Amino acid sequence: MTGPMPRKTPLDAAVRDLIRTRAPAAAGDAPLPDDLPLGASGLGLDSIAVVELLLDCERRFGVPRPVELLDGPPLTVGRLVKHLRAETGS
Amino acid sequence: MIRDAGRRLFGALESSLVPAASRFPADAATAAGRIGRLRRLLSRRWPTTAEVRDLFPGLSVRAAARVASAVADLEARNRLLVACVRRAGPAPIRSLVRSGEGLAALRPPLLLATFHAGAWNALGPALERLDRPVLVLRESLLYAPAPPVEVAVTGGDEQRRAAAFQRALVALERGAFVVAALDMPAAPGVRTRCLGHSLELARGPLALARLSGAAMVPVVARWRRRGIDVTAGPVIARASALRSDSGRERGQAADPAGWEAGLAAGVAEWLEAYLLASPEELGLGLLRELLKSPAAGR
Repeated sequence: MTGPMPRKTPLDAAVRDLIRTRAPAAAGDAPLPDDLPLGASGLGLDSIAVVELLLDCERRFGVPRPVELLDGPPLTVGRLVKHLRAETGS
Repeated sequence: MIRDAGRRLFGALESSLVPAASRFPADAATAAGRIGRLRRLLSRRWPTTAEVRDLFPGLSVRAAARVASAVADLEARNRLLVACVRRAGPAPIRSLVRSGEGLAALRPPLLLATFHAGAWNALGPALERLDRPVLVLRESLLYAPAPPVEVAVTGGDEQRRAAAFQRALVALERGAFVVAALDMPAAPGVRTRCLGHSLELARGPLALARLSGAAMVPVVARWRRRGIDVTAGPVIARASALRSDSGRERGQAADPAGWEAGLAAGVAEWLEAYLLASPEELGLGLLRELLKSPAAGR
C-alpha cells in the first residue's frame, strides 16, 4: 500500500481527472486516495478500461505504457501517478 | 446410473488410445472418431438429431443425424488430441498439421480469430510456422509453444487479464499476430446472434481491434485426409447496419460499445456462414452454448 504523496501537483490532478472519466464510481469531487486500486477491489475498472486509462495517459502525457506496470500488486492511483511522475520528470 | 456407466466406459476407451496417439496420431484419431460415433449411436445424444436441426433447420432428419454423428466424431478426436498433448507434448500433432497457402500470405498486425469448431486445439503448430511474432491469448497453457509463438494467460483476476490485454495491444502495435478465441468467453462478453440463437463473444479481441485498428481474420482447422488443414478466412467486416461509427483510429471510436457490437455482428455473420456451409465442423461445446438460448425468428 502506498502512502500519501508529499503534495498534490497539476500532474496528480490531471491523472485523477482522467481516472474520473473512465470510472463512473469516481465521478464528482470525492477524493481518490493514492492507495485506491483501479481494478475490481477499488474503483471497479475492468481489464479493458484499465488499459484504456493507460492509453489516455499515454496520449495526455506522452509517456509509454510498460507492461510491467500491470505485473505484481494491483495498480493503484498512487502507483500510476508515481510512474507518470518518473516518466515526465514532474 | 446407466449413463454414468456409459460415460466411464467411453472415457476408458478414449484413454486407451492416448498412448498409441503419440506414435500413430492419425490412426488413433480415426479410431477415436469411431468411438465418438458409437457413443452417439448408443446414447442418442452427444448431440441429438433434434439439437442439430434446431441450429440447422434446413437439414432433413437424415442429414441432421449424419451431422450429429460427425459432431460426435469431431468431439472424440479433439478430446484425444488434448489428452495426447498433455501426455506427450505437441510433437504428435505437429506431424498432422498442414498450413494452407492463405496462412502464409497473412501480413500482420492482425487479430486471428479462432472458434470452438473443427480441430481448434491443433492450431498451434500452424501458428509456429508464421514468420512473424505471434501472441496467443489463452485461459490456460496447454503446452509451451515454440517460437515465434508466445502465450499470454488471461485466466485469473482482472489485473492479470489487463496485463494480457496490454501485452496483446503492444504486440499489435509492434506488428505481430495476436490470436484469440472469440466464442465461449470466460468473462462477460458481447451478445450477438448466430444460427438463430444468442451467442456471446469475448469482448477483449473486439476491443483490441477497436483500439489498435488491426483487422480481424478467422483461422480454422479441419480434419482432412488423415491430417489437419489450417486455413485463414477473409477479413471480418463490421456488420453493415452497425457501421455508422467510422472512427477506426486507435481508441477514437465515438461509441466504443456500438463499434464492438458491429464487429461482433460481423464475426457472427462469418461464423454462421461457415457453419451453414460445413455444419459438421461445429464443436459440441459451441453447439450446447448456442442452444442455451431459445431460437428466435431468423
